[in-house]
Amino acid sequence: MAAIATTMPKPRPLPSANDDPQQLFVRWQQGEDQGAREELVRQFMPLTRSLARRYGRSSEPFDDLLQVASLGLLKALDRFDPERGHSFQSFAVPTILGEMRRYFRDSGWAVHVPRGAQERALKVRDAQEHLASEHGHAPTVSQLAQYLELDSEEVIDALQATQAYETLSLDTPRPGAEDGVMTYSDTMGEEDERYELIELDATVTAALKHIPARERAILRMRFVEDLTQTQIAARLGISQMQISRLLRRSLQQLRVLTRATEGVA
Amino acid sequence: MTWSSPPPNDDTPRANAPNVCLNLSNSAENVLLVRETLTGLAEAVGLHDGDLNDIRTAVTEACNNVVLHAYQGREGPMEVEMYVPRHAVDVVVRDHGSGIRPRIPNAHNGASGIGVPVIQALAQSVEFSSVESEGTGVWMRFATPRTVALESIPEQAPELPAVVQAELARTLGIAIAPMSLARAILPRLLCVLAARAHFSTDRISDAQLLADALMAQTPASIDGNHLGIGVSVQPRNLELHVGPLRTGRVIWRTVDCTVAGLSPVVEKVVSDLGVVAVGSSEALSLRLSA
Repeated sequence: MAAIATTMPKPRPLPSANDDPQQLFVRWQQGEDQGAREELVRQFMPLTRSLARRYGRSSEPFDDLLQVASLGLLKALDRFDPERGHSFQSFAVPTILGEMRRYFRDSGWAVHVPRGAQERALKVRDAQEHLASEHGHAPTVSQLAQYLELDSEEVIDALQATQAYETLSLDTPRPGAEDGVMTYSDTMGEEDERYELIELDATVTAALKHIPARERAILRMRFVEDLTQTQIAARLGISQMQISRLLRRSLQQLRVLTRATEGVA
Repeated sequence: MTWSSPPPNDDTPRANAPNVCLNLSNSAENVLLVRETLTGLAEAVGLHDGDLNDIRTAVTEACNNVVLHAYQGREGPMEVEMYVPRHAVDVVVRDHGSGIRPRIPNAHNGASGIGVPVIQALAQSVEFSSVESEGTGVWMRFATPRTVALESIPEQAPELPAVVQAELARTLGIAIAPMSLARAILPRLLCVLAARAHFSTDRISDAQLLADALMAQTPASIDGNHLGIGVSVQPRNLELHVGPLRTGRVIWRTVDCTVAGLSPVVEKVVSDLGVVAVGSSEALSLRLSA
């Protein structure tokens, strides 16, 4: 049986006959013809690549994923039974996806911040800073995407990701930040009194006392002095993304604190 | 329009309203709104990240089918419903044309036809439905238990909030219940929409602050279980309607905004703030500019 495929005198094949997956499977699985296997890999690599891209989007370096997906393809090639009458593709898709899912679970991907996303968040942070100082104002997502050669979704994911990370390397000061920190401590102090400008009621004023000094300063700069987040970031020597996160967090704390003092559910 | 019929073989009561209902057009960029909604939902109910990845991948395939095949190159509606029964997440993707149907017998014609096998590989169960003149739908169940409890919503399905389907909801209409879901989803959606309107990263962050502020304050003002939001995106502008407001809550902004530091946030962030009539109820109307 195994000999048939290799010893049978072949009729002159039609231009595509050598590429026919059914025949290639016979040659590989019964004749152990490596050439047929390579041809099958070549034919189904676009499918594999496309699955890796679809499944792994924005979370893991693409090359790693493609490797895992290719392993899935090889497994599928070995296990596929052409006599069952199904197309190889309908067998390969779940096999390849299964391999990638197992990889994600085994690599502890779910419990850690995904490496790819984390690196990208840092890149976006630095690009944001660079473009802001170049243009004098914060960039748009499409400007960031163009500059970093990412697509918009990857940039948006990175912006979202920075909201979620509590204290990541995103918070580490960059070279030259020392000046900013000095400015930051300079801005503290009696100026806090200017909160009166926004006519907050007593509850909010009381709640503000429970917000850390740096966050209070950020709130004031944004909502009293009307600075943009990028301007505040430059003053304090931290990233705009971090300002964004600190603002969201301290406003949330304020809401909880005022609700607690007011006894509102 | 009322809520559409429930998915088949559901172990939850038949008349259950979806937790999330998205009304979109089938443009490719809208798939990202669906993906971000799923991410917010997963965050709110504590899904495993790996499960979220499965759900996002499968639902993206279903949406891509609507984008590419439902209307033969023309624009048409894409509706996505999400249900969160106790031990699963169900997602229905529906069109008014011929989205996923023609792809079923055709699933092995090259890499572009792998959508259905991907969905079948990732979802625990899948049902396709096609009703003449009513379009096609795919219902996917993902057996992924939530780890955070979710307030239940009434089984009797109410009407969609008018604001979701009003003229203003040109870019996006969404109804969400309960509010804990909305709190996780709305900031993500506004981030995507602000990026689409060419906002700077500063202003994108402001849009998220606004979403937080709204979600901290609106629940008490909303009439019914579902928060309805309609959004229209123009270059450098976002227009939002949030409702339906409870009768007598027209004074929402003057009263509630002074509480809890909301006032400075909203006033700094939006350029217009008011109350408008939408259908038979009222909605908060906001405009953000880049």
